[in-house]
Amino acid sequence: MSRATDRALLLIPVAVALVAAAPAFAQDGSDSDPQADVLERGRYILHAGGCITCHTVEDDAAGLLAGGRALESPFGTFYAPNITPDPDTGIGCWSDEDFLNAFWEGTNPDGDHYFPSFPYTAYTGVSRDDLLALKAYLFSVEPVVRENREHDLALLVSSRTAAGAWKRLNFDAGRFVPDPEKDDEWNRGAYLVRHLGHCGECHTPRSRTGALLPEREMAGSELGDEKIPNITPHRADGIGRWRASDIEYFLDIGMLPDGDFTGSSMVDVIEDNTSKLTRADRRAIAAYLLSLPPLPDED
Amino acid sequence: MRHGRILTIVVCGALSLAAFADTAPEDAADYRKSVMTSLRGHIGAVSMVVRGLVEDRGHLVDHARGLANGAREMSHLFAEGTNVEGSDALPVIWEEPEAFAAAIEKSQQGTAAFVEVVEGGDMEEIGAAFREVGMSCRGCHDRYRVSRD
Repeated sequence: MSRATDRALLLIPVAVALVAAAPAFAQDGSDSDPQADVLERGRYILHAGGCITCHTVEDDAAGLLAGGRALESPFGTFYAPNITPDPDTGIGCWSDEDFLNAFWEGTNPDGDHYFPSFPYTAYTGVSRDDLLALKAYLFSVEPVVRENREHDLALLVSSRTAAGAWKRLNFDAGRFVPDPEKDDEWNRGAYLVRHLGHCGECHTPRSRTGALLPEREMAGSELGDEKIPNITPHRADGIGRWRASDIEYFLDIGMLPDGDFTGSSMVDVIEDNTSKLTRADRRAIAAYLLSLPPLPDED
Repeated sequence: MRHGRILTIVVCGALSLAAFADTAPEDAADYRKSVMTSLRGHIGAVSMVVRGLVEDRGHLVDHARGLANGAREMSHLFAEGTNVEGSDALPVIWEEPEAFAAAIEKSQQGTAAFVEVVEGGDMEEIGAAFREVGMSCRGCHDRYRVSRD
């Protein structure tokens, strides 16, 4: 979507945006504790945003969200940082603005550019309320003292200056704007898939410089040795034969429509992320995916 | 508990060797694949009923028993030497026999419990119990089977 279109769509009534970006869990507002509600919303965003999958090392005694997990890429190996509230090695000294800038602008509190291994290109669309709820939740977890590990990258791309150059070419900051032509479920699904859940980071192929190819959204990619499947509704190559219910059930327990079970890297995503969502949110994801252009695999 | 599990492994291993003593490893692997495919069929059928896509619940208990029977048979399907080329079974099955036996035992307990819940007839409980069965299946597939994208 172009920036001009973004600006035009900002004129849409705010109420539409609030409906689409609101958390899906119930809020009756009666005797609820506002702080507890924020933490609960933050915990939900933690799962919907897939934070645990990258920021927690499997079988590591270092603890939840303490970082260190390796992310292999053609440019080298990235190591996810500690996002517990430890003031020295984690994010304990971050202000709200620091936190928002990281997600919306891809910059750290010192103003340095993040590498796009942190998917700010997707997170830039996440709402302020969701991010601040996430921050509140992250600040409520046990702080872990664990120094971040330096990324191991090819020389040409290893500097923050190079990350800045990449951003200028490939990054448009901006919040998610609901499409008034679509219903609430579709808009919620778009918000979850494109932004909070950042599904395209794995399922959309990239250019040689590592930018996602929007014309091939969700058409499948490769992650190391693993073939990441095409999840457009193409009948032969994608999920065109799946019902919305099939997708919802897959995201819940990992069952494929034929009764088999996934055993790919999607297991972690299901475990940490999609199985923790409400059924309504999983169905919204399904509605969005099934609305995409059906794209065949490329030879 | 630990001794019981080891005994289970030893007994099952002995039974497996007896059952497949005259069976070619390739045939044993194909047989295993057929059984696992039948379980996949039961799972797929149950899931359609549980999700409300199919109204006829008349055979739900048959599928549940099919799952429980298959889970019981699994103890005999992974004999030493049946890790033939082209099999989806990962070597870790034979490298960690105790952990694998525990995973099978868990699936046996889960599917046996599922039969009882299905016989009870409460669809909400059936849905929840089936979800647990599915999670057990997924856990094993994740660790012990070649990934299916």
